[in-house]
Amino acid sequence: MLQVLVNSLALGSAYALLALGFVLILNAVNAVNFAQGDLVMAGGFVAVAFGMLLPVPGIVLLPLVLVVMALIGRALAAVAYFPLKSRPPVSVFISTIAVGIILQNLANALFGAEPRAAPPLFAGGLVELGGIVVSRQALAIIAVAAVMIAAQYVLFQRTALGRRLRATAQDREMAEALGIRVNHVIAATFAIAAAYAGAAGLLLANTFFVTPTDGGNYILKAYIAVVIGGWGSVPGAVVGALLIALFEVMLPSLPLIVPGLAGLPGASWLFSQTIATILLYLMLLVVLVVRPQGLFGEAVQRRA
Amino acid sequence: MTALLDIADLVVGHGPVTALHGVSLRVNSGEIVALVGANGAGKSTLLRALMGLVPVTSGEIMFDGTPLTGPAWSRARRGLGYCPEGRRVFPGLTVEENLNVAAAPGASLDTVYKLFPPLANRRDAPGWQLSGGEQQMLAVGRALMARPKLLLLDEPSLGLSPLLTDELLARLRAIASDGVAVLLAEQNAAAALEVADRAYVLHLGHTVDDGSAADPGLRQRVREGILSAKGLTSG
Repeated sequence: MLQVLVNSLALGSAYALLALGFVLILNAVNAVNFAQGDLVMAGGFVAVAFGMLLPVPGIVLLPLVLVVMALIGRALAAVAYFPLKSRPPVSVFISTIAVGIILQNLANALFGAEPRAAPPLFAGGLVELGGIVVSRQALAIIAVAAVMIAAQYVLFQRTALGRRLRATAQDREMAEALGIRVNHVIAATFAIAAAYAGAAGLLLANTFFVTPTDGGNYILKAYIAVVIGGWGSVPGAVVGALLIALFEVMLPSLPLIVPGLAGLPGASWLFSQTIATILLYLMLLVVLVVRPQGLFGEAVQRRA
Repeated sequence: MTALLDIADLVVGHGPVTALHGVSLRVNSGEIVALVGANGAGKSTLLRALMGLVPVTSGEIMFDGTPLTGPAWSRARRGLGYCPEGRRVFPGLTVEENLNVAAAPGASLDTVYKLFPPLANRRDAPGWQLSGGEQQMLAVGRALMARPKLLLLDEPSLGLSPLLTDELLARLRAIASDGVAVLLAEQNAAAALEVADRAYVLHLGHTVDDGSAADPGLRQRVREGILSAKGLTSG
C-alpha cells in the first residue's frame, strides 16, 4: 500500500514540475505552451545523452540538464513567442505545437524511436524503510521535485526577480511603465519553465524510459493538472499533478491493496491503466462542469 | 527656469485612442502642472504617449535636455514616474512588494510610508484587498519608488470621495517640495487648480488655454468651458 503511494507520489511530483512550468508561462504571457510536454521528452534525451558521455548518477547530470533546457526555453521564446506576441494567443498555441513537432523529429533523428533510459538519480534498486520496500529512484524523485518546487516558491515569493516575474504576469504594460524590462522577464520565465520540464524528463526517463513521441501524453497531463488545480494557479498545478498520478497509479493497484476486489467479476478489466485513463478524463469533464475554476480557482487577481 | 519636459506640436492619432492634434506644453523642475479638460480631451493619451505606451505620429518631446524616445521601461528609468488611470496596482503583490518592484537604487520605503501613513499599516495586504483610496496612495507611492524627476498622474481623483481627493492632492505639494515635478491630468479641474502652479486646458486634442493656476481669469474660463462642454450653459 505504502509502496504504491510512494510510486504515485514520485510520478505526481515529476508531473508537478511539468505542470508548474506550464502555469508559469500561462501566467506570464497568457498563452498555452503546447511544447511543454515535448520539453519533458527533450529533457529526458538530454539526460540520456549526458549519461552516455559521463558515467555519473542522474543527480550530477541534473544541473547540466537544467542549463541546457533553460537555453532551449529561451530559444522557444525567441522563435515561438516574441515574433507573435502582438497576435492573438492562439498563434502561440500553434507555434509551440510546431516547436514540439520539431523537437520530436530532432529526437527521433538523433536517438531513434527505441525507448531509452536515463541514469537513476542516485542508484537503482530497492531500499527497506521501516518495514516497507520502496524503490530508491522513487524516493529520490520525490526529494528532488520537492526541493525544486520549494525553490520555485522561494524564487517567486522572496526575490526581486520573482516580484518582477509576478508583476509582469499580472499587468505587463504597467510593469514596463515602472522600468521593468518585461521581455527579459518573459524570456526568463520560458527558461525556468523549460528547465522544470527538463528536470521532469530526467526524473521520469529512468523508470518510465523516454521515446520521441512522449510529449503528447505529458502535455495532456499538464493540461489536466492545471484545469483540475485551477487555471493559472501555481499551487493548484502541483496539487492537480499529484491527484492525477495518485489516480493513475492507485486505481490499477486497488485489487492489491483491497484483496477482496480482485475476486469481483471484471476486476482485471476495471482496475487497469486503460480504465484509469478513461476515468481521469471523465473526472476532468466533471471538474469543468461542476467547478470550472478548479480546486484552487480564486479571483483572477490571486493567480500569481 | 529650465524646462524639465518640453513638448512641441505633439500629434498622436492611431486606432481607438483619443487623438492629439499638435499639443505644446512645458513642465519646469519642481513644478506642479495641471492638465485639465473633459473626458475625451486627450489627457490620458498625452500621458501614455509620454510613457511610450502609444505611438507618436509627429512632434517633439524633450525630457531633461534630450529627446524622449525608446520603450516604456527606458523612459521610466530616465526619470518618468507613471501613475495610471485606474491605479493598476499589482493585485497579487502585497503593498510592500508593489513598492519594491518599482524601486530604483536608493529608493526608500520609509519615504513613501511617511508620505502615506495608511500604507504602512497595510504593508502585507495584497493589492486586491485595498480600498480605492489606499490603491491610489499605493499607485502614487509606487511611481515615487522609481525616484522620478517627473511624476505623471492620471485622474487620481477618480472614484475617491472629495475629502480623500483633497488629502491626496495636498500630498503633491510635499512631493514637489522634494524636487519632483508633477504633471497632473484631472477632470476635477477645481481640485487640480487648487494644488497646481500652472495649468493647461485640453479640449478635443488641442491645448486651448494655459496660465497660472491662481489666475482668476483662467479659473473662470475653465469653469465656463467645462459647463459649456457639459451643455449646461444654454439655459
